[in-house]
Amino acid sequence: MNGRPGTAGSSTRQIWSLGGGKGGIGKSLLAAALGYELARMGKRVILVDADLGGANLHTCLGMGAPEKTLGDFILRRVERIEDVLVETAFRGLRLISGASDFLGAANIKHLQKVRVLSRIRSLDVDVVILDLGAGTAFNVVDFFLISDVGLLTLVPEPTSIESGYRFLKAALYRRLRSVAPTEAIRHLVDAAGDRKHPLGIRSPLDLLNTVAMEDQRALEPLRREMAAFHPRFVLNQVRDEEDGAIGHQLVTACARHLGISASYAGCVHFDDAVWKSLRQRRLFAVDAPACRAAEDVRRLARGLLGGENLALEWT
Amino acid sequence: MSVLRGNHYALLGLEPGATTEQIERAFRYLIELYGEDALATYSLLDSGEAKQMRAQLREAYDVLRDPVRHLEYDVRHGLISGRTPSPGNQLPGMPPLPGVGVSEDGEKAARAAVRPDPVVLPEPVNGRVLKAHREERGIRLREIADSTKITLRYLEYIEADRYSALPAAVYLRGFLQEYARAIGLDPRRTSESYLANSGIQEGGE
Repeated sequence: MNGRPGTAGSSTRQIWSLGGGKGGIGKSLLAAALGYELARMGKRVILVDADLGGANLHTCLGMGAPEKTLGDFILRRVERIEDVLVETAFRGLRLISGASDFLGAANIKHLQKVRVLSRIRSLDVDVVILDLGAGTAFNVVDFFLISDVGLLTLVPEPTSIESGYRFLKAALYRRLRSVAPTEAIRHLVDAAGDRKHPLGIRSPLDLLNTVAMEDQRALEPLRREMAAFHPRFVLNQVRDEEDGAIGHQLVTACARHLGISASYAGCVHFDDAVWKSLRQRRLFAVDAPACRAAEDVRRLARGLLGGENLALEWT
Repeated sequence: MSVLRGNHYALLGLEPGATTEQIERAFRYLIELYGEDALATYSLLDSGEAKQMRAQLREAYDVLRDPVRHLEYDVRHGLISGRTPSPGNQLPGMPPLPGVGVSEDGEKAARAAVRPDPVVLPEPVNGRVLKAHREERGIRLREIADSTKITLRYLEYIEADRYSALPAAVYLRGFLQEYARAIGLDPRRTSESYLANSGIQEGGE
């Protein structure tokens, strides 16, 4: 995750992912609305329902369950990932529907996942948007980690924020483990992911301190990896200004207590129009383009394309 | 999880040379970030760590917002020299300094020279003018409640002139002084003027 998207109008292919650790916080709706807005801006967009086992992105787009899904590609019923691409009702926006049509979809094997990730990377479009499932399983986190823009979607509620931090730590530890130069350091990374481990490592910063005491030479690759990890917060279902300000607080808290250099991409307000549209199995950005949530998504899409983040006024 | 260490500036996320306004804003932002039950931090720090963080922030803020203690702090930590600062490295938000030596006499001179006059509101002082002054400075009541530990309700009553709902004068005087200090007013004169205007008697319940 390099956190450096191209600028609006460029044809550089980017992968955006929407994770969040928790279900029911609006990731799929946001993914669908972002995809729609990007397509309206003239981008060629593919939405990938990477919620293996719980796919429903097609419903957010007002579609029935597509005939061909990612499951067909995973199980090699089709050879190319392009064979499971389906058109949506919106020009420039296509969908790869999720693999919920076979048992075990959520637990695909490592090699199957590597094949999916590599083929997603090769898709010839401007932006691929990955809608991730809940939880912190490797099969979720790995999709987050291959993205150029990792969006951590949260709602301003304790359960969501706790899950969000857990998700960030899981993703970062996964990344740090992959560059740990020795078995001993890999054990330390594993210990960091275990709250009850006797070493008592509570955060990535604690981990770095412990590594520094254990093996000074191992520190540099871990530091480099941490410095390259730039998740972006998106706050959904924000009800007032104070809710919106939590995005800045999350950024500060991440930097101060986790050592993670995150940023705040923006927020989407709670809006009755969103669920009214969903009840009709329609996309709110299409159904009610003037509603506040749709305006927020448009602003968010433009900002993400331009690599912009919200900054605190006084910093 | 280790609580942050470092100098007062680092604690507030600022660089030496930060303006008075930046110090104010950083403190208000961070004291809210580490508030009890603050969404962004409650699961990262336990209540003891958050409390410790708030205490450290208050200490840093108390030093940096006071021109004299601020200057002493910077000199003691080698952040500015003990000689007369040139206009280029003068502390922001402070008037030009006369000779600021490290000797006791020099510090006394500096203390006398740099202490700004506190803001005194014209009479009569009531809730409406206090509220107007607070809003003009962009300070929210919740921030004052967090930093002074005065219940938000009482702060609202003070600004609404709801005298019957306020505590006895002996307590109210302390509340008023804390409130006044938080919004940059002269604590003593503000509390006296408010109490006189309200007709609340010292010694009354």
